[in-house]
Amino acid sequence: MNPLSNPTVDPARPPTAEESVFSGYELGVAYDEMFAASDGPRPHYAALRERLAQTSPDDFRQRKAMTDLSMREDGVGFTVYRAEEGIERVWPMDPVPRIIPAAEWRRIEEGLVQRITALNLFLWDVYHEQRILRDGVVPARLVLQGGFFRREFVGVDVPRRIYVHICGTDLIRAADGTYLVLEDNARTPSGVSYMLQNRQVLKRVFPSLFNDYDVLPNDDYPAALLDVLQWIAPPTAAQPVVVLLSPGIYNSAYFEHSYLAQRMGIELVEGRDLFVDGNRVFMRTTRGPRRVDVIYRRIDDDFLDPLTFRPDSALGVPGLVNAYRGGTVALANSVGTGIADDKGVYPFVPAMIRYYLAQEPLLPNVETFRPEIPAERSHVLANLENFVVKRVNESGGYGMLVGPASTREQREEFRAAIEANPRDFIAQPTIQLSTHPTFVDGRLDGRHVDLRPFVLCGERVTVTPGGLTRVALPKGSLVVNSSQGGGSKDTWVLADHGSDPSEGGR
Amino acid sequence: MLSRVADALYWMSRYLERAEHVARAVDVTFQLDLDLHGVLANPVELEWNALLSLLRMPPPEPRPGSTAATAAMRWILVDTRNPGSVLSCVNRSRNNARSIRGSISPLMWRELNKLHWRLTDTGLQSRVAESPHDFCEETRIGVLLFHGVCESTLTHDESWHFIQLGRYLERAEKVLRILDSRYGLLDAGNATDLPIATLQWSAVLRNCAAYEAYRRLFISRVEPERVVDFLLVNPDFPHSVRFCLTRVVESLAVIAGRLPDRCDDEASRTVGKLLADLVYLDAAGLDGERLHTFLADALIRCARIGSHLQRQYALA
Repeated sequence: MNPLSNPTVDPARPPTAEESVFSGYELGVAYDEMFAASDGPRPHYAALRERLAQTSPDDFRQRKAMTDLSMREDGVGFTVYRAEEGIERVWPMDPVPRIIPAAEWRRIEEGLVQRITALNLFLWDVYHEQRILRDGVVPARLVLQGGFFRREFVGVDVPRRIYVHICGTDLIRAADGTYLVLEDNARTPSGVSYMLQNRQVLKRVFPSLFNDYDVLPNDDYPAALLDVLQWIAPPTAAQPVVVLLSPGIYNSAYFEHSYLAQRMGIELVEGRDLFVDGNRVFMRTTRGPRRVDVIYRRIDDDFLDPLTFRPDSALGVPGLVNAYRGGTVALANSVGTGIADDKGVYPFVPAMIRYYLAQEPLLPNVETFRPEIPAERSHVLANLENFVVKRVNESGGYGMLVGPASTREQREEFRAAIEANPRDFIAQPTIQLSTHPTFVDGRLDGRHVDLRPFVLCGERVTVTPGGLTRVALPKGSLVVNSSQGGGSKDTWVLADHGSDPSEGGR
Repeated sequence: MLSRVADALYWMSRYLERAEHVARAVDVTFQLDLDLHGVLANPVELEWNALLSLLRMPPPEPRPGSTAATAAMRWILVDTRNPGSVLSCVNRSRNNARSIRGSISPLMWRELNKLHWRLTDTGLQSRVAESPHDFCEETRIGVLLFHGVCESTLTHDESWHFIQLGRYLERAEKVLRILDSRYGLLDAGNATDLPIATLQWSAVLRNCAAYEAYRRLFISRVEPERVVDFLLVNPDFPHSVRFCLTRVVESLAVIAGRLPDRCDDEASRTVGKLLADLVYLDAAGLDGERLHTFLADALIRCARIGSHLQRQYALA
């Protein structure tokens, strides 16, 4: 009865050209990950294309169904909020993997390491000497009056001077294939569990795809994360007790919290499980209080501690922030990292890299306009239908305007909002994100994708090979967020054997 | 272990045991209903009302176009407005498991999750109208799979014992309640028709998953006194109250980190005394009234064990 154990596939006859899942595949203006314009697949995709072309649409449909069933039975889901109601959704994965050649990955990796290094230096600086502000490289007002700047943390020394331990950086590809940084997520980035789960499920559902490639494993992430968390423990803790602090089962990323806690073998706690006594953090156990040394918190700053931040928060732990300031407990990420991934500060990250590291940024930003500057404001307002406008204080695809797909009413609404509070917005030209063959309605069709690699910063900086590829499932859509109907793909980074077929060109 | 985790393990397990118990009771009542059709005047109402009162559920709202039996079965099995329905119990069990996914094995979560999805299948639910058997069978198999996986994938440490605690305390309570619902039959035994009494006492055994085990032990007609004795004091049968409470005592000792006869906490004391009363009980010599008195008292003491546990381990 279990469809997972017995795919009824008819391997006898390969599908004809019309039956092929690729029939009718069209290239648009965007960069296509698999196909170079008209002259066939890019070298690193050739073997995959060949194998997929041998797969009938029915077989494909079945494997897609197996993927969904697998995700459902493992309880891999997320919660979508609409009209205050939380709906449990099963994580959608497309069975066609995305492939990144070794050389290409090396460049991405170096760029990400450079970026998180600069962001951590920036955070230490703005919470201490504020050199970069005094030197006028980043406008002081932008930082000091930003909604995410934590005045309470000026002068506080965080363990090992690391603020951002876990970073999820969103990359997109321009029409010429250049990787661009769309945004940094330096607060509580999510998605890494889906990256790991996608690999597990694809191996179960479509194992033959792995035959032609040497794919780097990504399974080391939880162990690497635990290394980071133990690295920042207070020096007094010989065997540090590490916990993951979650808002609980109604949080949209709860699956990820429980998954990571389980993979690391650490306790998943909620605010009510912890208390502070004598400026030390304890958890309530069946055998009395137990000391906690490191907290991987998946709760925003605002809700962390009702005594310091929002007094109405029931998710946090009273006194936690003071214990953190006192150095008796470590937090990852640190408090106050929001100022580094503030969309208003984002345009200045390349300048930070030059300022702190004296290097040229390896991964460029997307060109960004700041309506705060009058000339840029009038340019944006005059061309709203060509821009993506984002609120600097929002994430997850909420509160943004995608110009080309917007209605006149939506544009007028944003126009008024921008004029009222220009500091709250940034605008970027609409970039046609790269496309990737994706299984839709019984065949493969191009859908826009992005890439979120995960960077860990502890004793050293590590980037897990691959990351989470998100797919905008409606045709032509550029919004990949799972909360807005996005899907995902397993993401392969190929091993470097010195004979990379893609060496020497994209 | 976190107190909240202990609490969730305990309730995950209790609700699952309850789901299995309710499913079995519906299946048994359905079969009994068919058997009694020819013999009693209005068996349908009688048996389903008896079941609702055994489960301490209010009756379902009457629905035009469905018989009393169908309405009762849907209400008891799949209606989530009924907090005691099988589906509600499985949902509550799953929600508890969800809140502590990291503390149970991934396979345990997977089995429980699969059970939830199978039971929400509309095809399966609609077949309940004709016969509840498939739905009840799915439930029982799902629960048994869960415990099988739990047995061999979870370390038998404190967490495993909190699961056992919930399971066996719930089961002991349910067996006590089933017996208590039928104590009246004990005195009437000689007056009523023998075949009917046999059917009803067989139903009691089936409700406790004990019919076959009983038959193997006593090769004779189903005799009320022996049924009571078997379900209360048999030391080896997994659904006897004595067996269940012995497990509770053992688990409490592991959780307290002591030997069973060295436990001086309130929960251990309460369950230990009840167990001693059971072991030396002259069950065969009880008439209906004295049996009822004993059972009612035992139920109160079981409830007390639960509240002692809450206090001792700061369970929510």
